[in-house]
Formats: sequence, C-alpha cells, structure tokens
Amino acid sequence: MKKKILVSFLAVLMVLGLVGCGKKNYGTGEIKVWVADNVVEFTDNQIKSFMEANPEYAGYTVTIEPVGEGDAAGQVITDVTAAADIYAFPQDQIARLVSAGALEVVNPDYEADVKKNNDAGSIGAATVGEKLYAYPLTSDNGYFLYYDKSVVTDPSSLEKIVADCEAAGKNFYFEVNSGWYQTAFFFATGCELTYDTDDNGNFTKANVSYASDAGVVALREIIELCASPSFQNGSSAGEATNVGAIVDGTWDSAAVKEIMGDNYACAKLPSFEGSDGKTYQLSGFGGFKLLGVKPQEDENKLAVCDAIANYLASEEVQLARYNEVGWGPSNIKAQGSADVKADEALSALGEQLAFSIPQGQYPGDYWNLATSLGDSVRNGEISASSSDADLMAALQNFQDTCVSYAK
Amino acid sequence: MNKSYKKKQARSNVIAHIALIIISIIWLFPFVGLLLQSFRSYDPNVEYGGMVDYLIPKHFSLDNYKFLFSGQTNFIRWYCNTIIIAVFVALFQTLIVLCVSYALSRMRFTGRTFLMRFWLVLGMFPGFLTMICLYFLLKQFGLTQAGAVPGLILVGVASSGMAYYVCKGYFDTIPKALDEAARIDGATRARVFVMMTLPMSKPIIIYTALVAFMAPWCDYVFASYVAFGHDESYNVAVAMTRWVWTNDYQGYFTRFCAGGVLVAIPVTILFMCLQKYYVEGVTGGAVKG
Amino acid sequence: MEVGIKNVFGSIGEAVTKGEGKTKVSMLIMGFGQMLRGQILKGIAFLVSEVAFILYMILFGAKYCSKLGTLGDTVTQKVGRKTVYGDNSFLILLFSILTVFVIAAFILLWYLNIRDNLNQEKLLAQGKSLPSNKTVFESLFDKNFDKTLLALPVTGIFVFTVLPIIFMICVAFTNYDKNHQSPTNLFTWVGMANFKRLLSFGSSGIGSTFVQVLAWTLVWAFFATFIDYFLGLAVAMLINKKGVNFKRLWRTILVLTIAVPQFVSLLYIMKLFSNDGLLNGWMMKLGWISSPIQFWVDPMLARITIIVVNIWIGIPYMMLIATGLLMNIPEDLYESARIDGATGWQMFRSITLPYMLFVTGPFLLTQFTANLNNFNVIYLLTQGKPQSIRLAEKAGSTDLLVTWLYKMTVNDTNYCMAAVLGIMVFIVTAVVSLVVYNALPSVKDEEGFQ
Repeated sequence: MKKKILVSFLAVLMVLGLVGCGKKNYGTGEIKVWVADNVVEFTDNQIKSFMEANPEYAGYTVTIEPVGEGDAAGQVITDVTAAADIYAFPQDQIARLVSAGALEVVNPDYEADVKKNNDAGSIGAATVGEKLYAYPLTSDNGYFLYYDKSVVTDPSSLEKIVADCEAAGKNFYFEVNSGWYQTAFFFATGCELTYDTDDNGNFTKANVSYASDAGVVALREIIELCASPSFQNGSSAGEATNVGAIVDGTWDSAAVKEIMGDNYACAKLPSFEGSDGKTYQLSGFGGFKLLGVKPQEDENKLAVCDAIANYLASEEVQLARYNEVGWGPSNIKAQGSADVKADEALSALGEQLAFSIPQGQYPGDYWNLATSLGDSVRNGEISASSSDADLMAALQNFQDTCVSYAK
Repeated sequence: MNKSYKKKQARSNVIAHIALIIISIIWLFPFVGLLLQSFRSYDPNVEYGGMVDYLIPKHFSLDNYKFLFSGQTNFIRWYCNTIIIAVFVALFQTLIVLCVSYALSRMRFTGRTFLMRFWLVLGMFPGFLTMICLYFLLKQFGLTQAGAVPGLILVGVASSGMAYYVCKGYFDTIPKALDEAARIDGATRARVFVMMTLPMSKPIIIYTALVAFMAPWCDYVFASYVAFGHDESYNVAVAMTRWVWTNDYQGYFTRFCAGGVLVAIPVTILFMCLQKYYVEGVTGGAVKG
Repeated sequence: MEVGIKNVFGSIGEAVTKGEGKTKVSMLIMGFGQMLRGQILKGIAFLVSEVAFILYMILFGAKYCSKLGTLGDTVTQKVGRKTVYGDNSFLILLFSILTVFVIAAFILLWYLNIRDNLNQEKLLAQGKSLPSNKTVFESLFDKNFDKTLLALPVTGIFVFTVLPIIFMICVAFTNYDKNHQSPTNLFTWVGMANFKRLLSFGSSGIGSTFVQVLAWTLVWAFFATFIDYFLGLAVAMLINKKGVNFKRLWRTILVLTIAVPQFVSLLYIMKLFSNDGLLNGWMMKLGWISSPIQFWVDPMLARITIIVVNIWIGIPYMMLIATGLLMNIPEDLYESARIDGATGWQMFRSITLPYMLFVTGPFLLTQFTANLNNFNVIYLLTQGKPQSIRLAEKAGSTDLLVTWLYKMTVNDTNYCMAAVLGIMVFIVTAVVSLVVYNALPSVKDEEGFQ
C-alpha cells in the first residue's frame, strides 16, 4: 500500500518537474494579428519563423489581417471581443484604448527588457500612468522637411522656402489643421501642451499655455503661412501635386522620391521669424508606433500573444523591418546600426527630434479641437487682420477646452 | 410671320443643342477623367500613381488593371462578395416586397392601416442610429467579420418589407375585378397571386430587383462596420475607399480609378439595359408617392 | 379601445366562470382544448409556443431582465493576468427589451388561445362541426393568405428595425459612451442628462452647435430639393423640345450618374475640387487665379460646392421623372394657349408648373426628407468638414444631423449622444413631413387635375 502511494507521489513529482522544465503545454487556439497592409507579408514571415523556433506554441494558428494603424484603434474599441489579439497602432490612441479596456499591460517577464532596449521617448509613449501598456515598434513617427533641390534654395528658413515655392509656382505642403503638425509652431515659441494620466487611461490634468504671447506669435505665423498662394494644407505625399516642399514623415520617403526624382532632399524643419521679430526653430511631436496585446480570458493564450508581440518588437525584427519597408526602429541597438544611420530621411528626422517633444498622451478630442483651430485659420475666421486680442480670445477658448478634457 | 417664326424656331433649336452639348460634357467629365486616370501607371519607372494636376496620362498603361487581377490584393474576392450580396439581396428583397405589397394592396385585415402607418413612422428614424445594435445582433448569430457576407444579405433583406410603396401602388392599378373573377372560379388567393398578379407585374418586379441590386455596390457605411478586420469579407466599396482615405495607401489613386471603372461597368450595363423599367418605376412611384 | 379592453377581460372572465373543463385546462396548458376537440395542428402550435416561451424565460430571459434596473453591477476583474469579464450592460439592455416583447407576444397568444377555446365551445354547443386540420392549413393560402405573406417580413422588420430602434431610444437615457463601454465597463441609466446637454447653451452644452447643424440641414435639404427639381424640369423640357435630335442619347448620358456607384463618382469629384486637384491646377496654369480656390476649406464655399455637386447627381433623376410626366400633359392645352398668344414662359407658369407641382407634390416631400438624411453626398465629399472652433463635439460646417450622428457613433463611440441626435432627426423629419403633407395641394384638393 505504502509503495503504491510512494509511486504515485513520484509520478506527480515527475509531471511537475516536466512542466517546470519549460515544456509547458500552452493548449490550442487562434491568434489574430492586425498590421498595416504593407507589412502584412513581412509580419507573416517573421511569425512563421518565430513559431518554428518555438514549437511549444505550435497549438496556435496565427492569422494576419491588413488593418491600417489609423483604423485599428477605432475598430478595436467598437468591439473588443471581435478585435485582433495583437495589433499595431499609433501612440496617440493608447489612452483611449486603455480606458476602453482594449490593452493588456506588458508581460512583467519582458517589461524590464523592453524598457531597457527602446529609447526613452517610445517607452514614455507606451506608458499610461505608471504602467507599460504596449511594445514600441518604431520611433519614426515624427516629421521633417522634404524639398525639391531645384526649387528650394535655403531649407533652413520658412520664409525663404515659401518665397521659393511661390516664385517657382510650386506647392508647399504643411498640414496646419492637424493637431500633430500644428504643434510645430506652438512648441517652437515655447507653448506647452501635455496631459497627465492615471493607470486606467483617464486624463487627470492638462498642462497648457497656448493662451499667451508666445501662442499669439505662433498663431500669427500659421496665419501668415496659410495666406501664401503656394501653401497647401496636407501631409500625404501620395496625394500631393506639384510639390516644391512638404512637411511629412519617413513613411512617405518612397513616395517623395518618386515625385522629386534626382531633386529629392530632406532636412530638419526650418526656423521662422515671428511677428515679435525673434527667430524660432519649428518644433513638433516625435511619435511612435506601438504594438498592443488585447486582454485575454485565457492566461496561456495571453502568454503566447505576449511572446509574439515581444518578438515582433525585438531588435532583429525591427532591423529587418527597416530593411524591408524603411520603418525607423525604436530599439536603441537597431538605431545604432550602420544601415539606419546612413538613411537620409531618418537622419533628417534624427536632427529634427532634437527640437521635438516626445509625444505623450492626448485625449482624442484634442486632435479634433486642433483641426477646428486650423480650419478656422484656413477659412478666414481668424485672419491676419484679427487683433491680438481676438487671437488671444481664440487661444483662450482653445486652452479652456483643452483643460476641460481632463477631469 | 411664318418665316420669322421658323427662323426663331431654328435659332432656339441651335441654342438648345449647344446647351445640351455643354451639359453632356459636364456630366461626362468625371467619368472620362476616371477612365483616363485608370490608364496611368503607378509604376515609378513609368509614371506616378497618386494625384497629379494633369488629366491625360503621359503613357498609356494597363498596370492598374493588372495589379487588381494579380492577386496582390483580394480585389477579385471583394468583387465576388459584392456580386453575391447584390444578387441575393435583389432576389429576396424582391420576393418580400412583392409579398408585402400584395397583402397590403389586395387583402383587408385588422391592423392593416396600423401596419402601414407604423412602418411610415419607423422609416423616419435615421438608419445609422441602429448600426451598433445591428452589429451585435448579427454577432450573436456569428454573422460579422468572417460571416459578414451572409450578415449583410440578412440585414439588406430583413427590413425590405417597409419599401412596399411603389410596388403596392402598381398592384393597386391592376383591376380588382380580375382577382374577383378568378376567385369565383375557385382559385385560392395564393393561386391568384402567383398565376395572375405576378405575370402582370414584370415592370415592377424588374424595377424592385434593379434598385435592390444596385444598392450594395455603394454600401460603405454598414458593410465596413460589420466586416471590419476581415479583409476577405469586404465589399468593393469598403476595400477601395481605404485607397483614397487611408494614409497607408500612398499612390493608390490610379488603382482606385481602375477599380472604380470595373465596378461601374456591370452596374451601368445592367442599368442601361433595364433603364425603361427603372423610369417606369421611378415615375410611377413619384406620382403615386 | 375601451370596448376592446372590455371584450378582452370579458372573454377571460367568461372562460374562468362559464368555460368547460377543457377550456380551463387550456388556461394553463395552451392548446389542450383544441387538441381534445380534434384540432391537433392548432393545439400543437399553441403548446409548442408555450413550451418555447417557458424555456426561453428560464434559460435566457430571466437572467437578463432581472438586471434591467441597473444594467449590471458585476465589474470586470483581473485574476492573475487573466481577464474575467463582468456584466455586459449592452446585452442586458438588448435582451431585456427582447424579453419584454416576448412576454407581450406570449400574453397575446395566451389570450388568443382562450378566445379560440370559447369560440370552439360555442360552435360545438350550436351543433356545428369544427373546421378540419386540412381546412385550417389550407386557409393559410386563401382566407388567411395575408398571414402567410406577412409573417416573415413583419418578423424581419421587428428584429432588425423595431428592436434596434427601441434599444437606441433607451440608450439615449444612459451614459453609454467611450468611457462606459461593454464588455469592460458598465453603463447605466442617467435619465434626461443627455437631452439637457444637447439643448443647453452654456459652455458644457452643445446647444449652439446643434442649432447650427440643424439649420444647415434644413437649408441644405431645401436647396438640394428645389434647385434640383427646377433644373431637372428645365433639362427635361429642353430634351423634350420639338426639334431637338438624339433625345435618347442626351437622356442616356445624364442617366449614367445614377448607374455609376456614388462611392466611385463622388470620391473622384471630391479629389477634382480639392485645393491641389485638377480643377484648381488647371485654373492656375491658365492664370485665372493665383491661389487655389478653397472649395472644401471655406465653410460657405464648401456648402455651395456641395449643393452644386448635388445638382450633378439630382438632375438626371428628376429629368427621368419629369420626362414621363410632361408627356401626360394634353397637347391641346398648349395649342389653345398658343392661339391665345401666350409666350413660352406664360405657358410654363400657367400650365406646366401647376400640373407638375400638383402631381409631384408627394414626391417632393419624400425628396425633401431623403435630403435631410442624405448621408452619401455629404460624407463622401467632405465628411462634414471644415471644422471650426465654434462648433462642439467634432461637428463640421457641412455636417448634417445624420453625418454628425455617424461620426459620433463610429469615430467617437459616443453612443448615448448619437442616440439623442437620432431621436432629434426623427422629430425633425416627422414634423416636416406632417406640416408639408397637410399643405400639399394634392391632399387638399383631391379632384384637381384628375
């Protein structure tokens, strides 16, 4: 009798030991991944090689769907249960995703490494409150200047760029009605706009100083730019025509090269002379693309998702992604590789990043508010003839609304 | 007197023709533009696939069409989805509209006027209001994402009874005496409906089916809401508007044009062939409206 | 109505007091009486529906209905790294409403069952025989053919239109928005708070935005309807004119706009008019303008451009209708007018226009209400833009109530405000329809031209 008990006890021990050895059974299931159309094939290949290298996850089948990063967040929020388990999104959506319960915190096993390996800005972008909610994918979501060498003679001055484009009858694209590009002016003159968040993605406090003399200078500059006949509101090279210069990001470098051919050139954003006579260097946001994992009802599946996401955001995959589609890595070591350093667009962005502010968390309403401000300038509700008091009133209104988003 | 009248007449005819030619140019311009742009290559070695400020491509190319059929995207699948949805919606919707119209036109039962008024009132609620609710209803039956195609057919068909107006108006014009005569001869209502009324209603059947067939080609709003995140369930409208609206697709404009041409062709041909019935239905609906 | 209620309770009372045993048992076991009296088919139908109802309530309905008051109280939790979802307010509300309807339908069925029993009792007492199973079945294709025809469509409309609309009306009284979203978060009843917000004009309210969007919606519908109507009529008369050749060709060209799906043609036109689009590009090359015309940027210009583009869409449709109708006007009316020396304009004013307005009155009304909700044209062209700092909740200068509603639903997941807006759209449509309908000449004066 005693022997029997001993035998079964040993058997239990052995089973436990096997599990302990790491050959854990993760069960079976399906994992859905959403990434942008142009990296679907790349991601597919990467995941295949990952699954081959890790046979313990073999019970899971992974399907990849092309869902643009811009659309992903909205669709995840519409129905979290039907959404992808792993999805890429631009950082401005993170707070919204967290408060809708659509993001799981990064696996504690990986957290320290992720924080150590990626640049500080990208970690800040992936953090809501005190918690790390996503795996950084890229650090290239910033903007800088592309220009046509045959048109623009001096890319360091906004006034000269505009004058050159006007003289050549070419268009200068700058999307001033986007909350993302607009900050280039306001941050340049020293205005502040940031939000504090708690762990659940709620906005607790707004730090904003748009309603100030500095804000008026920035707004006047936007008005002046919009008044130029060469000015076009836009930031998408694929839809731009007759381009002399465009403020755009690395993701469009191929498109810009197509348009400009041999005259292709890029530089950091120019500086401008404000209405107060001082010179300001255009600033702006440095932004990041993130990879998120959805909350799961099954702990094993969550572990597999975490492992895949961690892999997709790792140094070698980021580097491979750069080589394949040109996305600038957030991983510090990948950033240091020779290929990345030689990239013209990425180095222009790197220069600009010195003047930019890493983009933190902003409420979704901010982006629309900024569009409204930009549209009001473009359609002449606020114009060069408006007095400083009018501009201040508009900015005060803007600032009050910004503050009202944080509760 | 007569001569000057004729002269005046001739002059006004010339003016009328000139006006019509101008109108035709304005009305045809977008289609010609669409067609021309669809022949501009997106290959950077040849030309450029984004927006340009000239109309006529510098090089004639079929690259965009080749791209659509090359399997690099699910275009063929999207196209088939749309056709499947359109065909089934047209079929079932016509059936339902005919049934409802016949019942409301020929039979008198308690609740008939209530039903008609109630549906009229229901029609005043905007359709988008219920999108989220419909989405979750369909989801209960597994008819979203992967099952979006049958789901869209179901939604397209389910509430079509409310669109009985034009068809009922048509049935009202068929003399009731014919029905009565057949009923006296011992035919059941069902028999009268199938053997007599339907054969006499060819124009309205074609009209109903045609309108029902054309709607799904344009359905962006609900289709994108139901099928999101599942590329293979998209219809052409959902899939192709991404090429214009989303930043992920730079330089896809000419491919959008090519796709647009392919979408427009079958619908246009069908419409042109059945135009007569469409006019009849629309005019009848407007007058009795 | 009062008589109806009296009848209902009368027959229930009669069944309880005077009904025979079979009838009384039928009050508990539906269809019992019918089956014993030989009407197996009917009896089984009643019995099956009762069983189905009880099963539905036990397995499904009761658990949702019990939480209707709070819309759920169990919150979502984390157990380890795993997520355990709590109550789903959305499903609670949806299935509670469904259950209320199921109960109502069951009570109706139960009453019909009692009444049927009483009828059968009476027939038998009078010595008549009951209709056979076969006759009952066959009547579904003859006397009761309407029930066969309407069963499916009415069910479809109920499930996919009535139920969702009632659900959304309920949502208007909750706080279902981006911060209270199922399944992670609960939402609950908030009474009239959303309506107050829509109609308050202070800094937190969106009253002034609502008024502006509403005003533009009405202005748009007016212009879109009437400009298209008169221009369409003019084009139809032009083509119908004696001496104009190739009538079919002109019509076919115009009709193309109806045939080509709007998401293709309108998106193309949107690009055509954009600041860097073909139109501006050409005009600048020709030197007509030095800077692009801001078709979609300037609020006023954007509105005008939309109305102009809508003419392009609307004329062909109106032209088709008018062509058919113009031929119905007796030619001798024009002849006699011509002999009296009337000019073309006079003839138009005193013959053509009154006739057209009379005949197409109801059509104009439906056009008007359709334009109030004309989503495609606005959304495909501008998506409601340009926005302005003067407008709240992301509304734009060309937003109609419906496009605003759509953006709230899809971009903002602000379902409760969207529901409130939806109710407002309904009210506007209903009021306009009622007022205009009563003012229509063809309603006032039915004899008119007939």
